[in-house]
Amino acid sequence: MGVLQYVAKRLGQYFAVLFVGLTITFLIPRLLPTNPIDGYIGQIQARANGALSGNDIALLRANLEELYGLKGDVLTQYLSFLKRVIFQFDFGPSFTYYPQPVSQIVFTALPYTIGLLMVSTLIAWFLGNVVGLVAGYFHTKRAASILEVVGIMLYPIPYYILAVTVILVLSYLIPIFPLAPSFPVGQMTLQKAGMIIYNSLLPAITLILAGFGWNILSMKALAVATTEEPYVTYSRLKGATNWTRMTGYVFRNAMLPQVTALALSLGTVFSGALLTEMLFSYPGIGLILRTAASSADYNVLYGAITISIIAVATAGLVIDLIYPLLDPRIRHR
Amino acid sequence: MSVILKTDGLNKVYRQGGFVRSRQIKALNDVNITVESDRPVVIAVVGESGSGKTTLAKTLLRLETPTSGQATVYDQVVTGRGTTLSRHDFLGLVQPIFQNPFEAFSRYRPVDAYLQETAIRVAGMSGAEAEGAVAGALKSVGLDYAEVRGKYTNQFSGGELQRISVARALIPQPKLIVADEPVSMIDASRRMIIINLFRKLRDEAGRSFLYITHDLATAYYISDYIVVMNKGQVVEFGAARQVMGNPQHAYTRLLLDSIPTTTKKWRTPKAAA
Repeated sequence: MGVLQYVAKRLGQYFAVLFVGLTITFLIPRLLPTNPIDGYIGQIQARANGALSGNDIALLRANLEELYGLKGDVLTQYLSFLKRVIFQFDFGPSFTYYPQPVSQIVFTALPYTIGLLMVSTLIAWFLGNVVGLVAGYFHTKRAASILEVVGIMLYPIPYYILAVTVILVLSYLIPIFPLAPSFPVGQMTLQKAGMIIYNSLLPAITLILAGFGWNILSMKALAVATTEEPYVTYSRLKGATNWTRMTGYVFRNAMLPQVTALALSLGTVFSGALLTEMLFSYPGIGLILRTAASSADYNVLYGAITISIIAVATAGLVIDLIYPLLDPRIRHR
Repeated sequence: MSVILKTDGLNKVYRQGGFVRSRQIKALNDVNITVESDRPVVIAVVGESGSGKTTLAKTLLRLETPTSGQATVYDQVVTGRGTTLSRHDFLGLVQPIFQNPFEAFSRYRPVDAYLQETAIRVAGMSGAEAEGAVAGALKSVGLDYAEVRGKYTNQFSGGELQRISVARALIPQPKLIVADEPVSMIDASRRMIIINLFRKLRDEAGRSFLYITHDLATAYYISDYIVVMNKGQVVEFGAARQVMGNPQHAYTRLLLDSIPTTTKKWRTPKAAA
């Protein structure tokens, strides 16, 4: 019963978060004093050297409002927005790349961002925890404290400095990776997939290095505390080996806060995407967001932000649904 | 007659502080106890907090290495100089019961896994034999395997969990069970269940106990021998009736006097003056 209740509660929260997120994305741009259609008409008017008559403008305005879903009062707009987004995932066309639909642009970029950031976050989590566990479990040994130094040295370096250093070293000084990577488009072949993976390695290495240090430090602190717990000593007296004690007792018991930390860091994946994708000219959601923001492409902004909200909420949901598997206290309440 | 427990000049020194002002703490200061008997016994170790009781238990469980001296359990040297006993054989000879069963068992692991693993790792049984041994051990502490199987620590009461840890300690058929304050975390009404269980296991199953406690009442009730410790030293040692009935050392008398009784009237120091 405990699990069903837990899952139902979490699903309820999930949908509530999505609903609030969608509402906020809808409302915030409408609080701006400017109207995108006014801006757009202004641009056309400027290009036509003011040749458009008042009648033409009214006609154009009606057409654009229809096209961009800006017809009627705020409530009507809101309802039609929810209907389109929830049932069709339709954000209308992009202003910049008219008539290409926003959903198409977003869905092309999404696998890149998810692939790169999720995979590197998971690898950083895994490696960091392994190193942190060993450093924490053997904290009385001198060699283990060297492992911790890795974390202490990596953690405080600002991400952008780390990224620029990695670019300098690995594509300029030792040119293993291209300085200006190209990402092939169109039908996916094995060769293209290989190229994408090769070009993604550099940003991935940077992201792993950046996430790695924090995981070492936090796991080490947890492991040191857990190693002192009576149940670890007790397991030794029932014949558990060093390896079993480290994995089955210390890691197993120190893991839960780290899983929560993983959920939180997956939540920030999209904000991390912005910087990474700009620095490595990586064709993901972050790059799209930036282009859209600088050219006031509202629909693309909506689309990219909405997909980020959905992805982050879903990642959190998945982690929370794994929890009962990890924590018997949720299962047997 | 066999030597049930013998400590020979056992010392344990902890260092505290850095290079400049390091301080030595003698947690065990030349502890000499010899208990010889034909039948299994309960040896109570009493003393206030910090008297070295737990260090003695840890040393006998090989969780701490003595700075000098040695300890013998049932004619075998278990720790200190001259130890030849392998880790595996040691765990078959001496088994622990910890103070707080909720801390002793990991909360992410079903408790019966502990019993199974003890049977397989320490007693060297096969899977099917282990099943039987676990059921038998649980039965001897008054529990049913079917009610324990697959459950986690949060599904038991403290008393039940402590009985399970007694059952676990019994599985490899150890000769000595070191119980470090096994009833201090259990409410008074349930304490006697555990205490009587020790007595029953001593008389029927032939297990000896080293019962570490600060509760003189239960120590007197159950034990054959009493060791009184203070500041790392054994201040009094002997047969339980003798020590309790005719305490020789001032510290033992102090301990005995500090037990609240219902027959004496409580006098505040002011009224006494």
